[in-house]
Order: sequence, then C-alpha cells, then structure tokens
Amino acid sequence: MTAQTTLQQAMPHQAPPHQAPPHQAMIDEWYPVGLVSQLDRSGRHTALMGEPIVVSGDDAGNPLVTGGNGRILPVKVRYGHVWSSLGTPTKDIFSIPEADQPGRRFVDVGVVRVRCSPLRAVENFLDIAHFPFVHTDVLGAEPHTEVQNYTAEIRADVDEVWATQVKFYQPQASKSASGGITTEYMYRVPAPTCSVLYKTCPPRPSEWDVITLFVQPLAEDLCDVWPWMALFDDETSMTDLIHFQQMIFLQDRSILENQIPRLLPLDPGMEIPTRADLTSIAYRRWLKRHDYTYGAQLVAR
Amino acid sequence: MRSDTTGFWTPVALSADLPAGTVIPARMAAGTIALWRSQTGHIAASADRCPHRGMSLSHGFVRGEVLSCIYHGWSYGRAGNCLRIPAHPGLTPPDAIRVVTHDVRDTGGIVWVASGIPAGDPPDLDGFTPLRSLTADADRAALALAAGAQADEDGRLVTNIAGQDLCLLLADQPEGRTLIHVLVRSGSDAAARIAASRSVERLRRMAESASHKGGVQ
Amino acid sequence: MTILGDLGAASFLPWIRRHADRLGLAQTVSHADDERIELELDGPEELIDMMEVGCLLGPIDVWVETIGREPLAVQTS
Repeated sequence: MTAQTTLQQAMPHQAPPHQAPPHQAMIDEWYPVGLVSQLDRSGRHTALMGEPIVVSGDDAGNPLVTGGNGRILPVKVRYGHVWSSLGTPTKDIFSIPEADQPGRRFVDVGVVRVRCSPLRAVENFLDIAHFPFVHTDVLGAEPHTEVQNYTAEIRADVDEVWATQVKFYQPQASKSASGGITTEYMYRVPAPTCSVLYKTCPPRPSEWDVITLFVQPLAEDLCDVWPWMALFDDETSMTDLIHFQQMIFLQDRSILENQIPRLLPLDPGMEIPTRADLTSIAYRRWLKRHDYTYGAQLVAR
Repeated sequence: MRSDTTGFWTPVALSADLPAGTVIPARMAAGTIALWRSQTGHIAASADRCPHRGMSLSHGFVRGEVLSCIYHGWSYGRAGNCLRIPAHPGLTPPDAIRVVTHDVRDTGGIVWVASGIPAGDPPDLDGFTPLRSLTADADRAALALAAGAQADEDGRLVTNIAGQDLCLLLADQPEGRTLIHVLVRSGSDAAARIAASRSVERLRRMAESASHKGGVQ
Repeated sequence: MTILGDLGAASFLPWIRRHADRLGLAQTVSHADDERIELELDGPEELIDMMEVGCLLGPIDVWVETIGREPLAVQTS
C-alpha cells in the first residue's frame, strides 16, 4: 500500500458490481457515518466499504443517506451519531443501557481519519498492555506494566465479545481522577467495527464510565473513527473531555498507521500473541466465526 | 547489475546522523529496517517489524543497549533476541523470540548494512569524508547522466564538479528515488563543503527535471 | 494441552509446530484427529499461555472451540 490512501483513491469509479460481494456478512451491519449535530442540507460526502455515500439532513433535522446511483440507504440515529448500512441489517443497533441513566453526560468527540483497517482500530481499542508506552503517564506508566489475568469470551446468549475483570494501574485514569488508582475495565464488542469500554468511574465508584469507539469502514485500509462517551462527570468542561479523548486517540493513531500488515490478521502465524492479548484473540475468533473479513487478512504472510 | 549473489552492502546513513540512543528507519533492497545506536555507541540493524503484533520497530526507543517497541515495550538486544516482555515481567523470553538482524559496519563515517552475506568489507572511501545525505526524485541512471559518470558496483559515483572532487554513494529507494550520501575530500574547508553541497543540489535538480519528476509537485 | 474443535484441516499440525518453534517450546503431538489434538508441552507457564492463545485462533481453515490444560505427571529420574 502506498503512503496516502486518500478517500479518492480508496473508492471505485464505477457503481459496485451486481454479483454477491465477498463481504456480505459485514454489508448487512450498521455503521456510524456522521454526527447528528453536524447534519446539514449540503451533506457529508463520505463512503462505506468503498461505496460513495452522502449523509445529509433536512430542515427538520431528519437524516438522509444515499449511496451509489442515488439509492436510499437505511438510516438510524443513535448515541448522537447517524448510522447507515449498505445492505439489510436484521438486528437493531446494539443497546448500551448505561447511556439511559439520568445524570450521564454525552460527549461527541468528533471524527478522526486513520489509514488502517477498521478492524485494527477496534483491536487497538481493546488492548491495555500498551498503556504505559503509548499513553505514558496518563493511562499507564512504567514500571507498572504487568497485565494480570482476566477473562475474555464470546458470550453465546448475546453473541458478543466480552472481557471482564480487566485491571490496570494508572497514574491519571481520566480527567476527573486525581492521583493513581487501579482501574477496572470491561470491554465489549457488539458489532464488527464497534467497541464499548466500561471503566471505573472515580466520582461514582459503583458505576461505570462508558467510552465507545464507533468505526466507519471507508476502505479495507482506511477508516473514520468516531469516539463517543457517556460519563458521570459534572466538573470537567466539555472541551477538556473532548481534548483528553482526542489526545488519547491521536496517540493510538500513530501506532495504527505503522503496523504490518495493515489488514488485521485472522491467522496469527506471523505474530506472538500472549495472555495479555486475550481480548484481541477473542475478537479475531468472533470475526472469523461470523465471516466478518472486510479489513482482515486470512492467511499469515 | 550485481554479479555476485552472496550478498552486498548498502550505505544507509551517515554515522553522524545516528546519535547514541536513537533509532531511525532505513531503506534496504528488501524493505525497511530499524537502524539504531545503543548508549555505548554500537550500531545494530533489525527488521522493521516487532514479532509481537507487527508494529514498526523504527518508531521505538533505545535505552542503554536495548531497542524497545513503542507499542507494548517488547525489548530486543543488538543480536535481535527478545530480552523482556513488559506485560509478563516474570518471563525470561526464550531465544527463539527474536527479530531478524543484519550485519552492520560503521566505517569511514558511513553506516553500511548487509543484505545476505557480503563477500568482503564495505568499500574503502579513500580520502573522502562524509558531508551530508539528500534524496533525489530521480533514479541512478538519471543521476549518472547528470554527473557524467557511472556508479560502480557499490553504488559509488566519483566525479568532479567545478574543479572539486566529489564522491557520491547512491542507495536506491522506492518509487524511483535515490538516497545520496555526499562525501568531499578529507580536509576540505568550510567554503569547499558549502560549494560541494550546492553542486550536488544542482546535480539533483538536473537529474530530476531530466526525469520529468521532482521540482514542483 | 487438549484442543477441541473442527480441526480437520491438514494445515493445523504444521502450523502448531511452527508456532511452538517460534516460541522455543518443545512439543509432542500425542493424539490428532479431526476433532481433538493433544499436545505435550514443556516450558514456562507464560510460554504455554502464549501457545494456547495462538492456537485458539490457528490457521483460517480451522475452528478451535476450546483448549484445556492439565499438568503432566512430573518425571522422576
């Protein structure tokens, strides 16, 4: 892959072929394509898995998403974002019950474009062993690098990936934390390019702060990432909350754009996963089982 | 074309451009490598990919005699063996966990990295001293044409521009570009070094415009 | 280590051998059929963890359902 894969280069010039595409499983899913707060008449020209789409809103704020040849695509509004699909989703967008709790502040962090596979973006979000090295002195710090055993599984009842009892010592876990604590986490993957993180909430220790990553696949090696949060935090300004999360994500971006191969391997034959990578492995197993392979590499090279 | 098949040396950088405790990416025929110098001054060259999850090692950091990956901190010695996996501090990593390394020489102020097993040492640079490196958006043939001289098997092109002897070490880069290490006669004064720098920049411009590349992009 | 699943692909045993080699783990295949593979591994706990985690995925044409581990009887000289 050459350096700058711009949106222009990533998208085909013709309408998509009529035969069944190889990524049918992922085509029938919901993906974030824009922010509700930024809908306008002229529209956001973007893409979903190589197909150009336009996301616009009428004067009443109702969203409209059109695809190649002007066909109307399914659309939903959830978690402050506009969601759409190239196919026919059979399920509703996943639920996050914590988002309905009174007192929650919702934070639209805003989009960041990353030259990597949409699946790589999710895998990185699920990882904690990188905290002391990529998010130094914020989410983790040497010498507190050990990753203790935790549980990661594919939950058959909801058909989602869940990692629980994840713990990591952090010098400054969030904008509202003062001093270091051992933060507890849960990670959840309810859709192929979406992840939900639940972390210890310092102002309300019996609740979880919710931080999500909604990833829009533009091409197999290009995505728009939409972080979103539902927090109990009445003190920090919205600007600070957004800047903090953006800073974290930009640190991750420098990793994501320099991994080889750029696609997410579903065969770890050229890698050495450890017990600390259990969530990533569970995620890859779940992708494999569902044939969610857009952005994936099937054979290790 | 190179006739021997046992291996060859590539001039990747000026030694002065790699301070102790730093790592930089460098280009070889087969791909990118992580070129680094330890705190005690020893240079090593390893494949630019951490075997853990494929992060580029040239984005990592050097501490003491160890190169660490920026993603999860996996640490490697100069011989390429993994010394530490920070997520699992209790484990002494086996020798089998390693990165491929390449033989490196630091001679005459130039860092040479081996592809395969070269028959001998890197070429002797015969009274020339490194000045600087620059990249041309032109291939070797275009540079040779502009210089009025051919590069030899080791990528060395000796020429005389405006009465000044220059030695250029050429290393092919992707997409038709060439990395040029410029050497001047040892003992050249400041004025001569500036003149050499300007001459090579002119040479580059000539080669680039002749190639219909480079210049204004 | 007992690997259970849809393991019939011819690629899996060589894959297991390669992965063990990259970890520097000595391994013996004591049983192998389309649904069950039994490995004997000798090495530090963290390395065997790494083998288990890698095998949970395996090559693309294999589906691993579960992996179980039991310590082997200690050999006395």
